[in-house]
Amino acid sequence: MLDTLKTLCYLSGASGSEDEVRDYILERVLPYSDEIVTDNMGNLIVSKKGKKRCGRKILICAHMDEVGIIITNIDDDGYLRFDFLGGVDRRVVIGKQVYIGKDRIRGVIGIKAYHHVSKEEEKSVPKRDELYIDIGAKSKDEAKELVSLADAGVFEDSVLEFGEGFLKAKAIDDRVGCAAMIKLIESELPCDCTFAFTVQEEVGTRGAKIVSARVNPDVAIVLEGTTAADLPEVPEGKRICSLGEGLVIPFMDKGAIYSRSLYKTVTELADKNGIRWQTKTMIAGGTDASAVQRSGNGVDTIAISAPMRNIHSPACVAKISDFEEMPRLAALLLEALAE
Amino acid sequence: MLLKDMIIDLCGLPAPAGFEDKAFARAKELLAPFVDEIKTDALGNLIAVKKCGRRGAKKLMLDAHMDEIGLIVTGVEKGFLRFSSIGGIDPRMLPAREIKVLTEPPLFGIIDTFPPHALSEEDMDKTIDAKKLFIDIGMSDEEAKKRVPLGTPAVFAGGVDELCENVLCGKSLDDRSCVAIIIKTMEALADKELNVDVYCLFSTQEELGTRGAVTGAYGINPDYAVALDVTFASTPDSKRSEVLEMCKGAAIGVGPNMNRNITNALIKTAEDNGIPYQLEIMGGDSGTDGWVIQVCREGVTTGIVSLPIRYMHSPVETMDISDAETIVRLLTEFTQKLGEDGLS
Repeated sequence: MLDTLKTLCYLSGASGSEDEVRDYILERVLPYSDEIVTDNMGNLIVSKKGKKRCGRKILICAHMDEVGIIITNIDDDGYLRFDFLGGVDRRVVIGKQVYIGKDRIRGVIGIKAYHHVSKEEEKSVPKRDELYIDIGAKSKDEAKELVSLADAGVFEDSVLEFGEGFLKAKAIDDRVGCAAMIKLIESELPCDCTFAFTVQEEVGTRGAKIVSARVNPDVAIVLEGTTAADLPEVPEGKRICSLGEGLVIPFMDKGAIYSRSLYKTVTELADKNGIRWQTKTMIAGGTDASAVQRSGNGVDTIAISAPMRNIHSPACVAKISDFEEMPRLAALLLEALAE
Repeated sequence: MLLKDMIIDLCGLPAPAGFEDKAFARAKELLAPFVDEIKTDALGNLIAVKKCGRRGAKKLMLDAHMDEIGLIVTGVEKGFLRFSSIGGIDPRMLPAREIKVLTEPPLFGIIDTFPPHALSEEDMDKTIDAKKLFIDIGMSDEEAKKRVPLGTPAVFAGGVDELCENVLCGKSLDDRSCVAIIIKTMEALADKELNVDVYCLFSTQEELGTRGAVTGAYGINPDYAVALDVTFASTPDSKRSEVLEMCKGAAIGVGPNMNRNITNALIKTAEDNGIPYQLEIMGGDSGTDGWVIQVCREGVTTGIVSLPIRYMHSPVETMDISDAETIVRLLTEFTQKLGEDGLS
């Protein structure tokens, strides 16, 4: 799963431009699937038969898209102006590298020399419309040959293992869920299951909404990445969850109150099978669950997430031992649901 | 080696102020074929000389600093590294920043950012205080304490590469691009008859207040010096009146920090040889080694030539190779033109 995740993190898939990710996943899951559909927004929906038919229709989903940027203007000097795709914290983008468009044009988000920054200026983060990207073009015309308006961009994409079993990459949110789903699809399932690799989660769980309408599930399992704030300067009550403490099974976040019975089932399964888990100690964040749960006549929904620091930044940090158990826990839940 | 490749080579090395040994070793290797002697001093400066063979020849010193800005570990808490900066770093550059911690072997780290979950819209506009940030090396407290002694320096991870053709981007172009420029100048002068002894000073600790240049210039005791550093190229968020332009050639400094005769000679050299240049007018402290070199001992006739770069002191400093090439030409022509009496 780790190798799959690393490959997935390299791929570009800003919200609305998930093609590269989808193409890769399609190739990986094709031999193991019974039916595959790509819908009109680009969601990849994969059905696979299991050992038995389950009375309830099960949907497992993870989103393919990642936060990024979209080019909104090219100025006379050849600098690019942009907007964010998804919730990017402006505080983490300064002096970072981006790759823009299909040709992966490299650019940097610049800021004037520190020598020219006043004490007052230093205290505030530039507004989005003050930020710009330098691709080394000397004029508007030169820039236009390389980049077009509405091209999407992603952050610098090096993937690295470091420290005692940690992984650094962009887009671990939510390629970790995609990698876990690929692993599940490659394995023998206890029951029939539909998997959705969704688009546009980061701009408001848009893809999951139409997936859910198509699949019309009874039960949904969302595999995600979630914010950890386990840092020395963050008080205990605001850390949400911690790396090294295992998978995160939330009872509630900003987007959903998860199914109490599924929460009980999953946490008990984890305990019984020696899988480390924790819950979120702060009501924060959200997942595709917010869209899926409220679709049709309503769906019993649970999430299994991997904790990560610096989520939505070019340098997400996750602990490998935390997320490695994600496919196993999801499979255990499928088994329980198949009963 | 091409100038471009040499810049990429030198800037890839980690050498924060006070810890310049890796840059020293590589610069020495690259410079050695073109000079007669290379030595160091107590502050770690690299001092080299190419003799012209005449007794009592005047001494010209070409200076650039080897050090770069960086961080230094001041504490280990729960496995995370607390740090101070070495030199001037914009705190807004730090969150989610990849770092190379200079243990042996080096460790990869990331400056973790605070997720916005507990912040108001207003808080999101505020810079995170660098004092609250830590380097995450993915280790337990015990392991981190074992691996990272206090006082371990660190630099921005990554080096320099081409953003697009001829545009280089990365860390420590300030000022190792100018170290490369001097080495290429010495290469160009290698088989030339000269009237002066040419000294190279690759100084240390410039980023902490031109400390190395104080002793380096003292030891060399030159008649003339040209200090090479980077200067500000325009960016959309800078005031046009405060900056120069990339791709417009060498920036020749004019002002009290630069002796008028050498400045005029540099300008004339550029004019005579059709070398693109721009003037950088500086009212007082040039912020370069030239500031202390000029008043070293009984005074050194000092000129300053700069390379315009964008985003100085960031991990994405950006330059155009054509500007660096104009400086190599300017220095080469200028040095050859010096007569037995020096500037005349």
